[in-house]
Amino acid sequence: MLLEIFDPKAAPRPIGIDLGTTNSIVARIRDDRPAVIVDCNGTWLVPSAVHFEKNGKVMVGTDALRLAAVDAQGTIVSVKRLMGRGADDPETKRLGTFDFVNVSGGTPDPEGDGENAKTVRFRAGGRTLTPVEVSAEILKALRKMAEDELQRVGGAVITVPAYFDDAQRQATKDAGKLAGLDVLRLLNEPTAAALAYGLEKKQNGLFAVYDLGGGTFDITILSLDDGVFEVKSTGGDSALGGDDMDRLLAAKLLEVMHADTKTQAPVELVRLALDSARKVKHALTDAAEVDVVVPIKGGGEKSVRVTRDEFDALIRPLVERTGVSCRRAIRDAKIEARELDGVILVGGSTRVPFVKRYVADLFGKEPLGDIDPEQVVALGAAIQANVLAGSGSTDDVLLLDVLPLSLGIETMGGVAEKILPRNTTIPAGAKQTFTTYADNQTGFELHVVQGERELAVDCRSLAKFTLKGIPPMPAGLARLEVTFEVDADGLLNVRAKELTTGVEQHVEVKPSYGLTDEEVENMLMAALDYGETDLAARRLIEERVEAERVILATEKALIADADLLQGNERSDIEMRLADTHAAIARQNASQIHAAVELLDDATKAWAGRRMDRAVARAIGGKNLNEVETDVAAARGVEAHLHEHGGG
Amino acid sequence: MTTPLTDPFATLEIEPRFDIDVTALDARRKELVRALHPDRFASSPANERRMALGRSIEVNEAFRALRDPIKRAEALARKLDLPVGETTEPKPDPELLMEMMEAREDLAAAGRAKDTARLATLASQMREREKATIEGLTQAFRDPSRKGTILPKLGELRYLRRFLDEAAAFQELAEAG
Repeated sequence: MLLEIFDPKAAPRPIGIDLGTTNSIVARIRDDRPAVIVDCNGTWLVPSAVHFEKNGKVMVGTDALRLAAVDAQGTIVSVKRLMGRGADDPETKRLGTFDFVNVSGGTPDPEGDGENAKTVRFRAGGRTLTPVEVSAEILKALRKMAEDELQRVGGAVITVPAYFDDAQRQATKDAGKLAGLDVLRLLNEPTAAALAYGLEKKQNGLFAVYDLGGGTFDITILSLDDGVFEVKSTGGDSALGGDDMDRLLAAKLLEVMHADTKTQAPVELVRLALDSARKVKHALTDAAEVDVVVPIKGGGEKSVRVTRDEFDALIRPLVERTGVSCRRAIRDAKIEARELDGVILVGGSTRVPFVKRYVADLFGKEPLGDIDPEQVVALGAAIQANVLAGSGSTDDVLLLDVLPLSLGIETMGGVAEKILPRNTTIPAGAKQTFTTYADNQTGFELHVVQGERELAVDCRSLAKFTLKGIPPMPAGLARLEVTFEVDADGLLNVRAKELTTGVEQHVEVKPSYGLTDEEVENMLMAALDYGETDLAARRLIEERVEAERVILATEKALIADADLLQGNERSDIEMRLADTHAAIARQNASQIHAAVELLDDATKAWAGRRMDRAVARAIGGKNLNEVETDVAAARGVEAHLHEHGGG
Repeated sequence: MTTPLTDPFATLEIEPRFDIDVTALDARRKELVRALHPDRFASSPANERRMALGRSIEVNEAFRALRDPIKRAEALARKLDLPVGETTEPKPDPELLMEMMEAREDLAAAGRAKDTARLATLASQMREREKATIEGLTQAFRDPSRKGTILPKLGELRYLRRFLDEAAAFQELAEAG
């Protein structure tokens, strides 16, 4: 009944989005099968290009890409490479054609430590933009495409390279939020691809996913065991892809287009060279040689012949870089290449014949390619969105992903101490205790880094946390217990507790590169200026959706697990349910929010009991030792304990 | 050093012992994660999602601890009230130290020469040695009269592990050219 009130038109349908460096795709489940969504022009491949006009108009996709040739500064391409990156990042400098801004959107930094200035911002069409805002425009365009077909879009799963670090993931999630999407989950691209293949083939075994996209390379080794997709290891290079091939080829073309090596080639000419290079690369997939006509600086044009052999020689060093990551991933998975049952190719760049041959040689078997390598990630994302929305018949599907890069904290002397090593299954967590080093020290700063290098400065800085309010006591007495949690999206959360007083400490998260929650909120507000959505209305919808979800789940559980209710829990819960219904009827966002929190509290203890029951059901009362054969012969530690009187 | 989140044996509901069947342990972990993974609670209220996340983490961490012989031994030794931790454990046998020093010199030489074959041989010899030490540790936990050998064997295992980690790093460097 409630659903009908808020769902006047169509039922919301989950979608899967592959937010790529060069192209993006949106897919959904149709007739139990994943399929890409096609726009009114019959295209499913949306170039990840955004054009900003002076009048505030924004264009995405093919139209934007066309304008890149005439207005390079106002058009942003390959923004994915800058997600979660700092302005002083070497990668940022490498992508030189944009007009980067080194100020924090005009707001002075209260701390004055210049932390915010690190976030990349570019100027385009008279606006100052972060990569998150640019990505949000791409996501909005995809959402629009999906709405045209599905009428109403439910939750979304957005894919990210497995090798993305915390800042890059957080930036992607923020972009989804900014685009007005309910982001159910961030999913690693190779895992999405494996999901699409695995469900299609229903085959158990060990697989490698070789994913060479426009801007990133990922290698993932995973096992498929009756619906459980478990990543064994992952590795890659978040700055290596087809764009680099284009750049190498463009540099060669520029030698002809701009013979004068003393001056730098103008931006527009570089753009033209890159366009030609991309076309040549595509043509060389089928042809052994290609002739391309390029303009010459100062007028005229010239025909250039590129053979496949030349191209192969040019890209060989790039492709060989992928081999290093592959061998490491195989070693991390503790397997041998010959044990693999299949190699899955993902990403447009795997269409390049030289790449295919290289992969076949590296793994000693012909790679699988029966699902379109460009669509496969979006298709997998659609499957997972469907599973998470609970509308799928694939309830037994479970994805177990890993942390791609080690998480550590900076210790005295600048050494990064690993707290969670790379390839740890997520969700993951660790607890560590710290102490004060000065008398009456009331604050403590923690620097969280991600990466494999020994020194913190060589790793990626994720965040600085300041723990405050430690009661004054002599040095070394305070004991700070810090808990790190990495959720299923690969995102980090930190909590801290002072053990001697038992006081839970407030943790101030100051992302080193990403945006703070406040900045994202401000961006949402700013979006109003462009007349897109009414923030209050949007907040009401969000609160209502969450409330509906909680009501539905609670009502279901009241029927299924009524026997686990204790005392007056039932009447309490029923009262809170009625309050929530009433708050929804009053259409008041803050009241709905408060009612849901009270309902949450009322169901907490009961939810714990229900989870215990779920666990008991899962292990079916089996004792692990019943599975073992030599129990009788062996003496366990309990015997030990007994004999030693507990030590 | 990080501290364990829970008693891993209790979290996975298994009897605390050293010689566990890792395949059965993996099956148990999968059963639990199937029931507790946050993806199973995607449409549940916030408190249940948080609870599922916390409990999934405990299961994953317990599995990670018990799968690894060193962490498994540490967890058991802690239960026996032995002073676990590299700073509190007794000093290693000088003979072992000498032997490890020589082995690591060999390894470093092979690493400098980028001799991948030699690196592989040294690593595989050390893995054999690791197997023997694990067997010794199994005996130490099984037989109360050998309780005193638990910590020395654990210390030895740590040295062997460090050697193997170093060997892997050298191999990676050698392969990268």
